Amino acid sequence: MTERTSKNSMLHIDGAQGEGGGQILRSSLALSMATGTPFRMTGIRAGRAKPGLMRQHLTCVQAAADISSAHVSGAVVGSTEISFEPGPVRSGDYHFQIGTAGGTTLVLQAVLPALLVADGGSTITVEGGTHNRAAPPFEFLERALVPILNRAGAGLAVRLERHGFYPAGGGRVVTTIDPARAPTAIALAERGERQGARATAIVSRLSPSIAHRELKVLRDRLGLQPDELEAVLVERPIGPGNAAFVELRYEHVTEVFSAVGEVGKSAETVAREVADEARDYIAAQVAAGPYLADQLMVPLALLAGGRYATGPLTDHSATNMAVIEAFGGRVAVQDGTLVVEQLLRRARQA
Amino acid sequence: MAPKRVIFGLLGTTLDAGRGPKRWERWRPTVSLTQHEDLVVDRVELLYPRQGTTLAKQVAEDIALVSPGTEVRLHLVDQRDPWDFEEVYTALHDFAASYPFDQEGEEYLVHITTGTHVAQICLFLLTESRRFPATLIQTSPKFKTNDPAGEYRIIDLDLSRYDTIAARFHREFTDNIAGLKSGIPTRNAAFNRLIEELEHVAANSVDPILLSGPTGAGKSQLARRIYELKKHRRQVEGAFVEVNCATLRGDAAMSTLFGHKKGAFTGATTDRAGLLKSAHGGILFLDEIGELGVDEQAMLLRALEERRFLPLGSDVESTSAFQLIAGSNRDLIVRVNEGHFREDLLARINLWTFGLPALRDRREDIEPNLEYELAQFARRTGRMVRFTTEARNRYLRFATGPDALWRGNFRDLSASVTRMATLSPSGRISEETVTVETGRLAEAWRHRDGTAGHGRDGCAELLGAARAGELDRFDRVQLEDVLSVCRSSRSISEAGRTLFAVSRTRKASVNDADRLRKYLARFGITWEMIAADARRQS
Repeated sequence: MTERTSKNSMLHIDGAQGEGGGQILRSSLALSMATGTPFRMTGIRAGRAKPGLMRQHLTCVQAAADISSAHVSGAVVGSTEISFEPGPVRSGDYHFQIGTAGGTTLVLQAVLPALLVADGGSTITVEGGTHNRAAPPFEFLERALVPILNRAGAGLAVRLERHGFYPAGGGRVVTTIDPARAPTAIALAERGERQGARATAIVSRLSPSIAHRELKVLRDRLGLQPDELEAVLVERPIGPGNAAFVELRYEHVTEVFSAVGEVGKSAETVAREVADEARDYIAAQVAAGPYLADQLMVPLALLAGGRYATGPLTDHSATNMAVIEAFGGRVAVQDGTLVVEQLLRRARQA
Repeated sequence: MAPKRVIFGLLGTTLDAGRGPKRWERWRPTVSLTQHEDLVVDRVELLYPRQGTTLAKQVAEDIALVSPGTEVRLHLVDQRDPWDFEEVYTALHDFAASYPFDQEGEEYLVHITTGTHVAQICLFLLTESRRFPATLIQTSPKFKTNDPAGEYRIIDLDLSRYDTIAARFHREFTDNIAGLKSGIPTRNAAFNRLIEELEHVAANSVDPILLSGPTGAGKSQLARRIYELKKHRRQVEGAFVEVNCATLRGDAAMSTLFGHKKGAFTGATTDRAGLLKSAHGGILFLDEIGELGVDEQAMLLRALEERRFLPLGSDVESTSAFQLIAGSNRDLIVRVNEGHFREDLLARINLWTFGLPALRDRREDIEPNLEYELAQFARRTGRMVRFTTEARNRYLRFATGPDALWRGNFRDLSASVTRMATLSPSGRISEETVTVETGRLAEAWRHRDGTAGHGRDGCAELLGAARAGELDRFDRVQLEDVLSVCRSSRSISEAGRTLFAVSRTRKASVNDADRLRKYLARFGITWEMIAADARRQS
């Protein structure tokens, strides 16, 4: 064990900056594990109705601590301050069970980046929600994010073994990670020609008519053909749930926009939310939509960096930029393109 | 390491029910406990009736899904009639009594939303009485939303902020505190804190309470106040029984405390129940417990631990359930080390120890106590006596100043006020009276090491402790002062002149010596006795 760094010399991150929610914590955990830099975060979710760490954030902290043998203090519900001192990242098989509200994809946000640059391969199984509000759905990970990371040299595969919806949860996502041995920089100046689109509506233990109503709205609003519509009835369903998403495939990038059904929210409303986001993206002519832009930033910084054209910076993107810079990296905006510099040069192996 | 959070609850056979997918859209109280982002629940102890077996398992499975970190333990608690108060209370009480609570490592909540109203009331009572060392948690659906997690509220009965109930609790608490302080608005922070703790202990514990502190610090009075508080709360039904262990000697000690059978010893002509028996269901206050004999200590320990003891000369054990309050002005640990006091008995009574500060350590309380003593004097004698402003200021200046040692603590203060009030027939204590009194106090403290206004206990020396103990404080204070004047006078006439200095000026003919002689005769004291005693002392 290396000697623990004293609190004062730790990297200090103000958790209240930018979007001031859970993302700044997840990005910090990812960068801390990958670079071996301990950090202390204060003002966690300071402005929220229930400030401090919630259970879903604790799950991320615990998963990150497991993988990096970290020494953690302040990891209790309601805590607005935490310190995290990672040890070496150990690749291997991990299994995390998270409750209802925590999205599986959010846990992966915290732990995947460090495993992309670890010494060996890993398998991560996360059980919980796979299609949650306020978290990217599994299909975003599978179809939008992972292909780009694999192009940057990573060997990632994600598999949805079971759907999990709020509130019952019970979904399962298995991710296998083959670390990037020779990472390459990503250049996404434009999206290229449209190659296809597909609208999908998933229902679990609910009437299939919900899916059909959603698909009708998506068809009308996005001008899709019948063979571009897909209704999925979940096999072996755990609990009730519904999600709709649209996948837009282009020559250089695939984007996914989604929404999750809730009790008291009509199928048409769910579908309209998806269609609005998809239409905004189609009109914007950028390569990476707002979610992809912020989700790419941390893993690319750890791989070989890259550049991608995107729209105006979201709060989430601005927050990620600030966190990456706090850990010694650099992200710049040049004429609507985000330029992410390589942060990690295999320093840990050297 | 944060303590583990454990929730006890009853299966809601209606509210928690549901098998199909629709159940996930409903608020189900037991499942909802584990659905809150800001509430980590490490374990749920779910009590269910036999007919709820299937549902209990379903609830456990659903909790495993929504909160994999929560362990669910199912307890079959069978009740024939869930609306039968006695049966439900007994079942829950027995469950709590046999549950291995670990208050160091775990914190407990009792969920009161599910179960019959009878069960809810029983859970509340068991929590309030600390059978469940827990706070209450109440769950409810969230108004105007469809979130099945609903809302929860933690109700700590110890926290006085729950509006109407709390306000009532608080008022009662304040009354209790005031009661324990005899209504004296004391200002000393340490003392007030001690009283608040004591109030809490008195309300929640039937274990022995040890009041330590110098003589005159108010142990006896406080013990009686604790009794009155518990009586008011209907926590005791029996009597308040008080005895000073220093007055118990020999066979009489055993018999006084534990009783005797007729013929147990010479003079035991009838059965005697003893003080322990008299305190059954009430409170036994043993003052100066350090003076208790070794045999009595052994018997008392047994009586505390097993609630049984053997009366003198009896071969049938007697039983008594009483709460012990022990008073001590000595360091009992020293007594243990000297071999005079049993270590195991000390351990037994040392659970709740409250050290009463000496009066000189709480000088800010002298002024409120002065008011109290004057009020007490008025109640005893029917005479309202007040200080003149100057007199009051002068007295307080002295009383709170560095020269006031208050060796006898409240006993000194009480005696001092009684003297001044008695010597102020006009109802106004003058500056002059105060000057004389402060001089007397200072003199007493300078010369002697003892109790109120006197190094020696003049009454006890002349009358014997027993007879002196029978005197009212009212008479005793006066007699003490009279005796002290007598001792420093060469003749009874000189003593009389001093003692009746004011009234003699208004009389045509005076016979102070005769007045004094008659006064002393009321206590069986003659001038010769005083003179002989004075010679012995010198």
